[in-house]
Amino acid sequence: EAFLRQQAAIPNLRKLVYGSVVVADDSEDEEEELGGLFRVSRPQKSKRFRADAVDCSRFTPDSAHNWDLEEMLNSIRDCFVTGKWEEGQDAA
Amino acid sequence: MASHGLDYDGCNFFRQRLVLSTLSGKRVRIKNIRSKDDNPGLRDFEASFIRLLDKVTNGSRIEINQTGTVLFYQPGLLYGGSVEHECNTQRSIGYYLEALLMLAPFMKTSLKVTLKGVTNDHIDPTVDVLKSTALPLMKQFGIDGEGFDLKVVKRGMAPGGGGEVVFICPTRRTMRPVQLTDPGKIKRIRGVAYSVRVSPQMANRIVDTARGVLNKFIPDIYIYTDHMKGANSGKSPGFGLTLVAETMNGSFLSAEMSSTPQGQGDPMLPEDLGKNCAQMLLEEVYRGGCVDSSNQSLALLLMTLGQQDVSKVLLGPLSPHTIEFLRHIRDFFQIMFKIQVQKPSEDERKGGDKVLMTCVGVGYSNINKTLK
Repeated sequence: EAFLRQQAAIPNLRKLVYGSVVVADDSEDEEEELGGLFRVSRPQKSKRFRADAVDCSRFTPDSAHNWDLEEMLNSIRDCFVTGKWEEGQDAA
Repeated sequence: MASHGLDYDGCNFFRQRLVLSTLSGKRVRIKNIRSKDDNPGLRDFEASFIRLLDKVTNGSRIEINQTGTVLFYQPGLLYGGSVEHECNTQRSIGYYLEALLMLAPFMKTSLKVTLKGVTNDHIDPTVDVLKSTALPLMKQFGIDGEGFDLKVVKRGMAPGGGGEVVFICPTRRTMRPVQLTDPGKIKRIRGVAYSVRVSPQMANRIVDTARGVLNKFIPDIYIYTDHMKGANSGKSPGFGLTLVAETMNGSFLSAEMSSTPQGQGDPMLPEDLGKNCAQMLLEEVYRGGCVDSSNQSLALLLMTLGQQDVSKVLLGPLSPHTIEFLRHIRDFFQIMFKIQVQKPSEDERKGGDKVLMTCVGVGYSNINKTLK
């Protein structure tokens, strides 16, 4: 959902798609040192979730939309043949 | 060594990288596959996918390091022919089939593949949805003809599997450029409510509630109930619903939902499933476009590989998977799409913003295809 909002916020989609991608950088990992010898390796969930996330083409629905509401239902009414038709178009 | 082709990190978008590598002939190396995970390296389903890729190609070279965190892939020729594959049950057949749909038209000989495993689960697009959305989409690009079909022989739910699917696809030398800019209005809704190893009444209960939601919009709704019995019903119980909305101009929008696998998570009532699935279809209609959200990347790929002519397609909002796919297309084929946002006008009630994607095909021709 955050992604959708981001997409709506950025007017230039081309920049979003082809612009430089923020790559998760391993060197920036904050690694605590234990006794000056060992490093605590903790998977950084927030940074690496994109690189190792589940490979799936499904697009999860936007939870901001509540399809129990009449106004949501009205917002897509004209997508159906039962809705309003444009000038110069006819059901025939 | 500079010539090991493209480098990527992480296991996400695994299939699209390998698919595009195969089509473009560029070598690819994927490193840091789950390198920070407690259980690092490739999973069984990814290994199974690589084996399937190896079966349909000829002369591919695949190297994986000992921990499975680095994969090197040098693609061979797409051969096709008759293939049988036992898909790993961690992911459903849809996972494998999505990649095959992208590869199949570019084989040397037409592909006839039998896939065994899980036909329906709640992660990937199921076989039923791909059958009713991806196949008509491919027909728009001129992939058609004798035997182009996807058949569910046996249904198998997660986690046990035991399903079987036959996919036959003819080859094409070139793709036809398309102009899909107006989806038209939705004229009918079709669907399949399936149930295996549970009471056949489940399917009817799903249909009732789904119809309740959709009847507010359109009267032409028909949802088939498909109850498979005996040997055709796989190893695990389950039920689910797929819904497809067909528009006047022949585009298809879909939604689907499956019951949670036995022993994982909370059980689901068929009534809730029917209602939620119907609302997901409304969400998909709200997004709109000529291609539904799970097939966006397939459409964009076929546009890229078209003749050197302009193709246009209207999509709903781009999914994260599609955005990454566009970046990969740029890496492998040096094609950038023109992306225009179309905002709906004030008085229109046609859902959210749409995106018009335009590109000129690379003029890819299938040199592998045998002449008869």
